[in-house]
Amino acid sequence: MSERKQNNIWVFLEQREKRPANVGLELLGKAQRLAEPAHGKVCGVLVGHNLEPLIDQVMAYGIHELLIADHPLLEPYCNETFVKVLESAVKEHHPDAFLFGATAVGTDLAPRLAARLRTGLSAHCIDLELTEQGVVGVVPWPEGNLLGHVHCTRTRPQMATVIPGIFEMPKKTGFTGQVIPIQANLEEKDRTYRVLEITREKPRENELAGAEVVVAGGWGVGSKVDWELIKELAAVLNGAVGATRPAVDEGWAHEDQMIGQSGHSVSPQLYIGVGLSGHIHHMVGIKGAKLTVGINQDPEAAIFNHCDLGLVGDLKEIVPALIKAIKSYS
Amino acid sequence: MDFQFSEREELLRKSIREWAEEEIPPHMEAMEETGEFPTELLKGMGDMGILGVITPKEYGGTEMGHLARIIVLEELGRVCPAIPMAIQVHHMATYAFSTWGNEDQKKKYLPPLAKGETLGVVAVTEPSGGSDVAGMQSTARLEGDTYILNGRKCFITNSHHSDYWIVPARTGEGRNDFSAFIVEKGFPGAEVGRKENKVGLRGANTGELVFKNCEVPKENLLGNEGEGITIAIRDIVECGRPGMAAVGLGILNALMEEAVKFANERVLYGKPISKLQAIQWYIADIYSDLEIARLLAYRLGWMLDQKMPVDGAAPLAKQWICEAAARSARKAVEIHGSYGILREYAVQRLLRDALTAIPAGGTAEIGKLVVARAALSQFK
Amino acid sequence: MPGGLQAHYKKVMKTLRSIVCIKPVPDPKHRASFTLDPKTNTLVRQGMNEAINPLDKNALEAALQLRDKQGGEVIVVSMAPPGSKGVLKEALAMGADRLVILSDPAFAGSDTLATAHILSAGIRKLEPFDVVLCGDYTIDGGTAQVSAQIAEFLGIPNVMHIRAIEVTAENTLIVSSAIEQGAMKIEVATPVVLSVLKEINKPRYVTMMNILEAEEKEMEVWSASDLSLSEPWIGLQGSPTQMGEFTTPEKKKKAELLKGDPKEQAEILADRLHRLGFC
Repeated sequence: MSERKQNNIWVFLEQREKRPANVGLELLGKAQRLAEPAHGKVCGVLVGHNLEPLIDQVMAYGIHELLIADHPLLEPYCNETFVKVLESAVKEHHPDAFLFGATAVGTDLAPRLAARLRTGLSAHCIDLELTEQGVVGVVPWPEGNLLGHVHCTRTRPQMATVIPGIFEMPKKTGFTGQVIPIQANLEEKDRTYRVLEITREKPRENELAGAEVVVAGGWGVGSKVDWELIKELAAVLNGAVGATRPAVDEGWAHEDQMIGQSGHSVSPQLYIGVGLSGHIHHMVGIKGAKLTVGINQDPEAAIFNHCDLGLVGDLKEIVPALIKAIKSYS
Repeated sequence: MDFQFSEREELLRKSIREWAEEEIPPHMEAMEETGEFPTELLKGMGDMGILGVITPKEYGGTEMGHLARIIVLEELGRVCPAIPMAIQVHHMATYAFSTWGNEDQKKKYLPPLAKGETLGVVAVTEPSGGSDVAGMQSTARLEGDTYILNGRKCFITNSHHSDYWIVPARTGEGRNDFSAFIVEKGFPGAEVGRKENKVGLRGANTGELVFKNCEVPKENLLGNEGEGITIAIRDIVECGRPGMAAVGLGILNALMEEAVKFANERVLYGKPISKLQAIQWYIADIYSDLEIARLLAYRLGWMLDQKMPVDGAAPLAKQWICEAAARSARKAVEIHGSYGILREYAVQRLLRDALTAIPAGGTAEIGKLVVARAALSQFK
Repeated sequence: MPGGLQAHYKKVMKTLRSIVCIKPVPDPKHRASFTLDPKTNTLVRQGMNEAINPLDKNALEAALQLRDKQGGEVIVVSMAPPGSKGVLKEALAMGADRLVILSDPAFAGSDTLATAHILSAGIRKLEPFDVVLCGDYTIDGGTAQVSAQIAEFLGIPNVMHIRAIEVTAENTLIVSSAIEQGAMKIEVATPVVLSVLKEINKPRYVTMMNILEAEEKEMEVWSASDLSLSEPWIGLQGSPTQMGEFTTPEKKKKAELLKGDPKEQAEILADRLHRLGFC
C-alpha cells in the first residue's frame, strides 16, 4: 500500500466588499476533507487591500495558514496583478492543489493563473475527489446523464473551479492558524486595465430564492401551450416555477427560472419535477428538498433515482388531474 | 445523377430556416386571426435575398435559380405556409419582368421588388374563370399613347399589398388575342376591390383588382401585343406551379415534424403511441408523401435551372404535392386524436392550409388535364 | 464625452483588425439525437449535426459591428478537425473576411491549455491585430478557460463576461464586464483578448448575398508545421488535464412509484400532499 503524499490544499477566498464570498468558505470545508487523509494543510488565500477585517472572519473556519497579499494596487480586482502575486506565492510554497469558486472573478483568474503556471485546471466542478494522484475534478458531461472525471497528474498545483453552493458551509471551529503575508512586488504598469466603475444591479425579483415549493418543468413538457400546466400546478401549490436548460432554450421559461449547474440552487420543502429527465446538470441544483416527486412517462428516467415519489405516465393527463385533486382540498 | 445538395444550397437552407424560425412565429397568431399579410417582414425578406432569388443580379437580385427558390419557399413554408404563398406569387411577377420585360421596365420595377418596397402580383383569374384562361373578359384598347383597361380580377394573391400588377387582358377579337400589361396601383382607374376571407393560408392576402377605364401608358405593355396568354401560361407553368409545389412541400415538412413529435410524446397503454401499429402506418404514409414530394419538387427546380421544358413536370409536382399535403394533413390530425381539432395545435391549420393550396394557381382538375396532355404527347 | 470629441476621435482612429476564435460544436437544435451507448458509456454520434458555438457567433457579430463602425478586417480562426470545414464556412457567410483553420492530427486530444497554446500560435502568425474575440464558453462542456489562457500565451490583457464594447480612442476600448448582480466598467488598451456573453448582441442573419460573397473568400488550413509551437502543450500528450472515466451519477434514492392510471396516481399524490400540509 503506497503512502499518499502530503496534500496541501489552497483555497482562494474571494472577497466582496470586505466580506468573504460564501463559495470560498464552502471550499474550505471541502479542502479540509481532501487534505485530512494525508495530513495536509488547508491554506486560505486572500488578495486585495485593507484585508484586516477579513482575517478573523475566515480564520474561524479552521485554516492552518492564511496567506495574505495586501497592497493598494490589488484593489479593485485586476486579473494580471492577482496572477502575478499568486504566481510568486505558488512558486514559493508549492501547494498541491488550488481551488477557486466558479464565479465571475474565479472563472477569469483561475484560467489565467493556470496558464501562467502551465498547469491543469478543471472547470465548473460539481464535486472533488481524492485519489492517489491527488485531487480529481468531477464535472457533468454536457451530453447524457454522465459525470466526467478530470485528472491532472503531471503538473502541480492541481487547480479547479467549483460551482458555488455545491458544498456545505463548514462549521466554525476554535482553531486559529498562522497568518503569512505574501510579498506583492507590484508597479502601476502591472494593472493592465482600469476599472472605471463598479455598478450593482438591483437583484431581479426571483421567486425561486427561498421558495417552499418548486415545480420544475423540462423538455418533456413539449410546448409553450403545455407549459401552462407547470405554471398552474405551481400556482395551486403557492410555489415557484423552475426549469431545466432545454425548457429555457425553447423559450417556455426565463433564464432566471433555471435550476441546476448553470442556474440556481434551491432547497424547498417540496420539489416536483415534471417532464424532465433528471440529469445531473439539473439535479445538482436541488439541495435537500424534504419531499421530491418526479412525473415522467419513462419509468427508466433518471429522475426516479433522485426522488421519493414517482408518477409514471403522460404529464398531460397526470398534471391536470393533480391540479383538480389539489383544488378539491381547498 | 447526384442527389446531394451543394454546399451553397445547404448553407442557404440553414440560413433561411434560422431567419424563418425566428422572424415569422411572432406574427402568426395575428395572421390567423385577421388574415392580413405581415408587411413588417418585407424588408427583412428583401435583406435576406428571399424576394430576388430569381431576379438577375444587375437588378438587385441574387439570381440563385429555381432550385434555390424551391428551398427558400420550402423553408418558409415549414414555419408558416401562408408566407411562401404570398412570396411565390411575388416571384411570378419578378419572373414576368425578367423574362418578358424590356430594359427600361426591368430597371424600373425589379429593384424595388427585390428590396421589398412592395410585393408583386400576377392577376390572371377572373369571375368568368381561372381554369378557362382564354375566357378572360378584361379588355384593353389602345387610344393614342394609352391603353384603356376595363375588367375585374379576383382571387388575386397580394392584391392589397402590391404596387405593381401584371395584368393580361383581351386586345383583339381572336380567341387568344391577349396582351399583358404592367399596371401601377396609382394609375387612374386602378382600384383594389374586396378582400377575401380564406379558411387557410391566412396571412397571404387574397382579393380583387378592379379596372374602370384604367389608363395604362403604352410603355407598360409587357412583351408584344398578342403575347398575353403565352406570358400568363408560361409564368404559371414555370414559376407559379413550382412555387405552389414548394409551398406544399413546406406543409409536408411541418406535418411530419408535428406528427412524430406528438406520437412520441402521447402516452397510451403505458407507452408512446408511436409504438402502435396503426399510428406507424400513418407515419409511414406521411413520410412517403414527404420523400416523394421532395424528389418531385427538387427535380423540377433542377430542370428549370437546366432550361428544360417542364410542361409535364410542373403541373405534376404542384398537383401531386398539394394533394399529398392534404391527405397527410388529415392523417396528422388523426394521429393527434382529439387534440388535432384544437386551435392550439398546428395540424388543423396545416390541413386548412393544404386544402387552400390545392386550387391556388390552378385547380387539381386542370392540373390533371395538363398532365394528361403531357403524357399523351410524350408517349404517343 | 461630448459628441464633438467623440466624432473627432472616430475620424482619426485607425481601422481595427479583429481575430475571432470559433469552435464547431454539436448543434443545440438537434438535442433529441444524442444517444448513449450503454456498453461503452460514450456518446453515439450518428449523423451528428454541427454548428458554430452560439457564443462564438456573438463574438463574431461583435467583431463585424466593430468593422461596420471603424472599418478594418475580421479574421476567423478555429482549431478543428478537417470534417468541420463546412460548418466553419458559415463564419465567412456571416461576413468574416478570412477563415483560418488550424488542423493537424497532432492537435487531437488537446485540453484547454494546449488549445489556447495552439490558437495563440495561429493568432501570433496573424499579427498585428487589435482585438481577439471569443465566446465566454462553448456549449459542449465549455470550460470557459480558453480566452484567458490565449491572452496569457500572447502576453496581453484579457477581460471576460463582456456585455458591451465601445471604442473610445485610438487603441482604447471601454467594456462592460458582468459580475454577480452587477458589472464592471473597464478601460483597456489594445491589443486585448475579450470574451463575450450572449447579451452583448444578436448575431446577424446570413443573407443570400452574403452566401454568394463568401464563395469568393479564402479558407486557409494551417498544420502544426505552419505554426511556431514553442512549448510542449499540444495534443493529448501535451495536455496537463486528461479526461478519465465516465460514471453515472449516484442513484440517491429509489422512488416509490405510485400505482394506477394517471388520474388515480394524481389522487394518491394529492392526498399525500394534503396530509403533509402542502394543500
